Amino acid sequence: MTNRIAALRKARGLSQAELADAVDVTRQTIISLESGRYNASLLLAHKIARFFGRTIEEVFLFEEEEL
Amino acid sequence: MKDVWKKTLPALALAVAVGLGVAAVVLGDRLDRPMSGLCFGAAGMLGGLACSRLLTAHWERKWTPEQRREMDRAERDERNVAIREKAAHTSWYWTLYLLWAAFLVTLVLGSGFPTALVSVLIVLHCLFLMVNLGRWARRM
Repeated sequence: MTNRIAALRKARGLSQAELADAVDVTRQTIISLESGRYNASLLLAHKIARFFGRTIEEVFLFEEEEL
Repeated sequence: MKDVWKKTLPALALAVAVGLGVAAVVLGDRLDRPMSGLCFGAAGMLGGLACSRLLTAHWERKWTPEQRREMDRAERDERNVAIREKAAHTSWYWTLYLLWAAFLVTLVLGSGFPTALVSVLIVLHCLFLMVNLGRWARRM
């Protein structure tokens, strides 16, 4: 699963720490999410998508074989 | 009330640990070996737990509200929780392998009581896992 968190965050001019504060996780979690090392839970995915005003599918991109 | 206990319990445990240690030293040879070992062991265990709790509380008092918030967040952070769970899962297997190795060593050495003891530990180790699997299966 890939995601567009880094692109959306940069488009808003936010730092990783600011995004982490906004969705109540550590900066390390944002770093891991952006690098694709960690997949967010449904709850965190929902929080992040809502923060950016997008749907989960717009932020998190599922590969066909994962579905 | 809970807070009072949280603050006084480590100090009380440390006092008991010191008391046990001093008693074991003062009584010396008047105590038989198992009782002396028990006193020193209990004193060490209680002292260690109490000191770690007191030191943690001391450091926590020095935290700024921002640091406290960061520590709370790090404690609840879902990635950190996942890391802790994976580490605990891996540790369970490592402990099992270690117990099996100890079991084999006791078999090679032909010792009766240690073999029985390690066997019981292996059974308990697996039993606790099964009990907790059942508990979590009912909750989730």
